[in-house]
Amino acid sequence: MANYNTMELMICTAARELEDGASVGVGTGAPCAAAMLAQKAHSPNLVILFEAGGAAPLIPEMPISVGDSRTTWKALMASSMPEIMETACRGMLDYTFLGGAQIDMYGNLNSTRIGPDHQKPKVRFPGSGGANDFASFCWRMMVMTPQDPKRFTERCSYITTPGWLEGGDSRAKSGLPLGAGPYKIITNMAVMDFEPESKRMRIIAINPGYSEKDVRDNCGFELLKADKLVDNAPPTEEELRILRDEIDPYRYVIGR
Amino acid sequence: MKKAVSSKIKKVSNLKYDQQLAESPFEWWGPSPDEARRVMSAKSKGMHDKRASLKEAVARYVKDGINIGIGGFVNTRVPVAAVHEVIRHGARNLTLSFQSNSICAELLAGAMILDPDRVSIKRVELAWWGYEVIGIAPLLRYLTSKGMIQLDDYTNYGMSARFKAAAMGIPFVPTRDHGGSDMELVNRGRMTSCPFTGKNVYLVPACHPDVALIHVTAADMYGNCRIFGAHCTCPEITMAAAHSIVTTEKIIPNENIRTYPNLTEIPYAAVDALIEQPYGAYPGASYGFHWFDMDHIKMFRSVCDAFRKTGKKDDLKKYYDEYIFGCETYDDFLEKISFKTLRKLRDLDGGQPIILS
Repeated sequence: MANYNTMELMICTAARELEDGASVGVGTGAPCAAAMLAQKAHSPNLVILFEAGGAAPLIPEMPISVGDSRTTWKALMASSMPEIMETACRGMLDYTFLGGAQIDMYGNLNSTRIGPDHQKPKVRFPGSGGANDFASFCWRMMVMTPQDPKRFTERCSYITTPGWLEGGDSRAKSGLPLGAGPYKIITNMAVMDFEPESKRMRIIAINPGYSEKDVRDNCGFELLKADKLVDNAPPTEEELRILRDEIDPYRYVIGR
Repeated sequence: MKKAVSSKIKKVSNLKYDQQLAESPFEWWGPSPDEARRVMSAKSKGMHDKRASLKEAVARYVKDGINIGIGGFVNTRVPVAAVHEVIRHGARNLTLSFQSNSICAELLAGAMILDPDRVSIKRVELAWWGYEVIGIAPLLRYLTSKGMIQLDDYTNYGMSARFKAAAMGIPFVPTRDHGGSDMELVNRGRMTSCPFTGKNVYLVPACHPDVALIHVTAADMYGNCRIFGAHCTCPEITMAAAHSIVTTEKIIPNENIRTYPNLTEIPYAAVDALIEQPYGAYPGASYGFHWFDMDHIKMFRSVCDAFRKTGKKDDLKKYYDEYIFGCETYDDFLEKISFKTLRKLRDLDGGQPIILS
């Protein structure tokens, strides 16, 4: 079995979710690496969009910004932020990947602030940016994040990006586009989805080297569990070769 | 007057906020749509030579208390040259409006920390303020933790849609996001029932900056602008603003504009002052001309982060004295960056094709 680190495993796991002919809105870092890997490994007709305006580029190497010239390199269209987001809003984007400082059991995410006082946050993060937009508009929102009990929290200090809100049909009743919502959570330890009725997060696969107990110990709320847990497959030699040699030769994202 | 209709956010929110403040009557943080229309009516609609120096342009349009709209996206095609001049000129009690920004917002924040009698930011309407892969924005974190600036949070589309509404001359635009987030509780948008479907829909108010600062790829002397690479929200912000100061990598003949009229992204009438300023987005990137200077961006960020952690202003002050106050013009600043660096940045852009002819 090949040697790999957890970031490589998360990127490979995420890439496998992106089928040929689908569209994905990504930011920089791991999500972009996952989309590029999918395109090179098994989904040549995956359409990648960047919110600053880049649509369907042939990305030569990892962009370091969502507005980087690499996001429009040999693209089909260099458009604008309104145009990309309106494309998503009219239902043309299948997937997106987000991260966040906090996530709760319904997939609600915080990337804005910690601390209860609205006027004077203890810690301020950058804010929504396009996270709330992509999560509201794209059909299937996925999260790639390292897992620890502080990040996987009972209640987010601020909800930047709504997931399934308080579960059940609460998201559907909120005015967000129907049928879209959180789909999978990919961590260094496991893969989770959401139980269809309650919309609560549940474990569906465990990564090599981790146990169900590890996953539960590193989560601040009670996780549901699928009827049958599977072992998440490690990266293949081919996936690792593409990732290391073609996508991230300087190891900005995958690290050393 | 807010929130007669809402999503389920109140049931899941943990945020403590002043409900009275959140529900206070709506206020424009810049010109109202009617005021913006009056400014337009006072402008001559003919084509005029808009060329000016940055000094003249900033002195003419930038005043205390105005709303400054910042173009570009994070560090892509950002109006750094114009921001340097605003800092030299001084402007207090500002409102800033942008979708996602990085070094321009941090430069203004640093100027406020060093000398609030020269530059101060009262509030910011925004979606995102940070450095992407490099990290968080240290001065944003500093100012917010001290309660020194007021933030009005939207999404990237929300801010883009707000500029777009202003560019359309309408007072608001409906969006299908924001709902179900804490932004719904505290920003100046409003959840309402769609008059046609009866379902929840979120309205965001138009955003008319008093002055837009924009950097473009090329323009003719009248202000007809071409933008290559991602357009970000630059055309909308320029058209939303009462006045605009546009820097361009290159001024091209009007004849070229007329050869390919499809390439005009910003019409001359939306531009009030035009400055040919090569590298005007440096250390940000400008498609077809140069890439990001990551070393300079990291250097400035680390100076800011050191201030945030230690409270010592010496190195921050040194940066401003060296690169802004020690320079009469932006070209003086660029002269402090080595030719080898600028050449490397040009090579790193990858030679993306642009049309200047």
